[in-house]
Amino acid sequence: MNMNDYKNKRVPPDWCPGCGNFAQLSAITMALAELKIDPKDVVVASGIGCSSNMPEFLNTYGFHGLHGRLVPFAAGVKWANSKLTVIAYGGDGDGFFEGTQHFYHTAKRNVDITYMVSDNQVFGLTTGQASPTAPIGLRTKTTPDGNIETPFNPIAFALNAGATFVARAFSGDVKHLKDITVRAIKHKGFSFIDVISPCVTWNKENSYEYFRPRVYHLENNDVTNFDQAYKLAFEWGDHIPIGVFYEVERPTYEDLDEVLKDGPLVEQKVHTLTEEDLEEFA
Amino acid sequence: MTIMRQNEVIIRVAGAAGDGVQSAGEILVRTFARSGLYATSYNYYQDIIRGGESWYQVRASDVKVKNQGDGLDILVALNQDGVERHTNPDINEGGASPLGKDGIAIFDNSIKGYTKRDTNYCPMPLADIAAKYSKNTLLKNTVGLGAAIAASGIDFNIFADVIRDQFGKKGDIAELNVKAAKEGYDYFLANYKPLGKKFKFGKKKYMISGGMAVALGAVAGGLKMYVAYPMTPASSALHFLAQHAKKYGVFVKIPEDEISAINTVIGANYAGVRAMTGSSGGGFALMTEAVGLSGMTEVPLVIYEAQRPGPSTGLPTKTEQGDLNQVLGASQGDFPRIVFAPGDIEEAFYLTREAMNIAEKYQTPVFIMSDLYLAEHYDTIDSFDLNFTIDHGLRAKDNEQDYKRYLITETGISPRAIPGQPGNMHNEDSDEHNEYGDVVSDAVTNPQDRIRMMQKRMRKMDTYIEEMKPTPTYHIEDAEYVIIQWGSTKGAVEEAVDILRSKGIKIGAIEVKNVFPLNPDIGTLLKNKKKIIAVENNYSGQLSKYISAQFLVKPDLITKYDGEAFYPNALADEIEVRIGKKKEVIRE
Ligand SMILES: Cc1ncc(C[n+]2csc(CCOP(=O)(O)OP(=O)(O)O)c2C)c(N)n1
Ligand code: SF4
Ligand SMILES: [Mg+2]
Repeated sequence: MNMNDYKNKRVPPDWCPGCGNFAQLSAITMALAELKIDPKDVVVASGIGCSSNMPEFLNTYGFHGLHGRLVPFAAGVKWANSKLTVIAYGGDGDGFFEGTQHFYHTAKRNVDITYMVSDNQVFGLTTGQASPTAPIGLRTKTTPDGNIETPFNPIAFALNAGATFVARAFSGDVKHLKDITVRAIKHKGFSFIDVISPCVTWNKENSYEYFRPRVYHLENNDVTNFDQAYKLAFEWGDHIPIGVFYEVERPTYEDLDEVLKDGPLVEQKVHTLTEEDLEEFA
Repeated sequence: MTIMRQNEVIIRVAGAAGDGVQSAGEILVRTFARSGLYATSYNYYQDIIRGGESWYQVRASDVKVKNQGDGLDILVALNQDGVERHTNPDINEGGASPLGKDGIAIFDNSIKGYTKRDTNYCPMPLADIAAKYSKNTLLKNTVGLGAAIAASGIDFNIFADVIRDQFGKKGDIAELNVKAAKEGYDYFLANYKPLGKKFKFGKKKYMISGGMAVALGAVAGGLKMYVAYPMTPASSALHFLAQHAKKYGVFVKIPEDEISAINTVIGANYAGVRAMTGSSGGGFALMTEAVGLSGMTEVPLVIYEAQRPGPSTGLPTKTEQGDLNQVLGASQGDFPRIVFAPGDIEEAFYLTREAMNIAEKYQTPVFIMSDLYLAEHYDTIDSFDLNFTIDHGLRAKDNEQDYKRYLITETGISPRAIPGQPGNMHNEDSDEHNEYGDVVSDAVTNPQDRIRMMQKRMRKMDTYIEEMKPTPTYHIEDAEYVIIQWGSTKGAVEEAVDILRSKGIKIGAIEVKNVFPLNPDIGTLLKNKKKIIAVENNYSGQLSKYISAQFLVKPDLITKYDGEAFYPNALADEIEVRIGKKKEVIRE
């Protein structure tokens, strides 16, 4: 298997040339190839947005659902069949506005899925409005005088929620992005990756050129140290850490649930109702 | 006019919320069921945990009882208010008539001043007897129930066993209760005369609520996952499933909201597991967008929608059928959907079970619409026919050549592939797509693909209509007048038909079990009738309007939107007025 075996040969990506999403497509397909996961055992679920078109370009099982609702969908897939590798992929508007509560609670439950967000600080598909991660002062269609709302901090949010794997990557550094993706998929539990992914069409301020000199690789940080991770989560501006902030082992929801722990639901026998079952109503 | 039958008894337990009215009522239903009688019940309560007025009515007979009935034989009043409300002929509690002549009122003898009315007032030392056994004041309910069992002529030993089961492992407490009940039983017989009911006791029955029947039907239909956010009156199904999760191998989860619930079960169904969600109108409103997602991606989905009166939070502990417009209109665009409305406990079981197959066969959302009355009242059944085959519908073979998830077919049904299946990788999309599932909405917009896909999906409805079973009818053959009914009004409507037929009026009813799509045979059933009357537990006659539009008929409309179910005698009176056989009834 090589990365191209994970791509849909009929449908080429429709993103603008230079869009950060291309890097994520490469990273996901390279990571799956490296991990030798059979495409039949992969589900990539998405919401709505430029980024969320991802599953259309893949030769895995895919589901392009509703804006903001990809995470509960992905959890449903995982709970139905825990043998599958489940990746939820969507935008920052999708995940940090409409889907915030799902993100929080699914992370808290430690459902064993990988959630990757293409964070371009704008709504790409709907032609460039300010997203929850838009920096103060960003001029967009909906903030002509500059954004005045404090940006959402995805890393701190994921840590607060109880995600057991929290990372940031950058579309301008595909090899690193791929490495992080491999680790996220391998991690047992809820893995979150916030990918700084420039929108070359609607966000000229936060471009590759802007981010390239600012990002630096996290090295030698103790990924089991929550306080350190939390502190790093607030580092932004001239120095932007990318890499794994936090990674710990904790039982997944599937490990703990009294029904799911007996194995993939899809393989468990359906109960045949008998006369004896009715006796409890006597 | 209320017809009292020798082989029927109606008992009402009345008190304040928190007095244990409901559990007392349930003990009665179970006692009747085990005695080999049919019973049904009605729980009148308010949305407060403690203090508000509450009563529970049980109607039992040796023939099937269709609803709670509007008469009353025995009242067990747990407080003064209960005696007053249910024996004062000027008070009509939500349509339920007060205790009349010859009726028996059992209450504690500390409640004074009840001698004058034309009722058999039977004050008893309920509290004193209870105090002999326990400090727990709820024990006086059990003493009162013992007296009611004596008054209705039921075997005390069966009642005693029900109490023992109720207390389960707490054996000592159970025995105290049995002894107290026996004293109440004996005291009544020593001091008052029983009603002299004559029952033909049959085989023991099972006692089950509508919500439980929906849950059990789903399990029988292969349910493996139920994800729902609590909301009355849908929660009885959720609670039942949560308590039986391990036994039936059903994964049950309360997520962060209803939007999560429905998207989660769509994910599970997509991955090949039968999963279901449920809510009431408010919670269902939040699910709206995802209903269309199931329609568009053709992922099977069963939704249990248990109605309560709206708008908004409405009357959370009351009944109504006001969500039909919402269910029919949920989500943008046209897509196939199928809506069932069970009329009683048995139909709740069978239709939910069937819905599980239908959803997978047609790969589209299927609804079970119920309401508080059906979901929360206990009823009895002889048994369920447990013969059933799970049918997963059209599935793709492994490694299909040139697999098309949305293959254009004559039936509209395309072969499904499930993640994990070799070779059939594809994308399912909420955007319009072609046969492969590849998106055709933006860059490669193709009107032909769009039109063919719309037609393919909608063709599933034609296919379904062909397999629909005939609309159930009641005394329709020679009927000059016909009633249209859907959902839980079935019992009251059928009994109203019985009452009117006993007066020589040729009337019948049709039950609209398939509220969407409508069975074309309804048009024929409504032909050449002197009058068509729709009976609905809502304000505007939601089903009636929709039937009028489809079959070009003009039904007269009888509605009720006070939060209570229909009562058969009151309904029969109203029907008589509408067909011109009776002057308007003045009711306060
Ligand atoms: C319920 C709902 N609301 C609004 C929209 C319109 N909409 C589509 S994509 C989008 C925002 C996309 O932004 P983001 O999630 O950041 O994705 P990007 O395009 O930037 O990758 C919106 C608002 C929708 N499709 N559904
Ligand atoms: S609009 Fe922005 S996010 Fe969307 S495809 Fe173009 S560059 Fe990418
Ligand atoms: Mg975005």
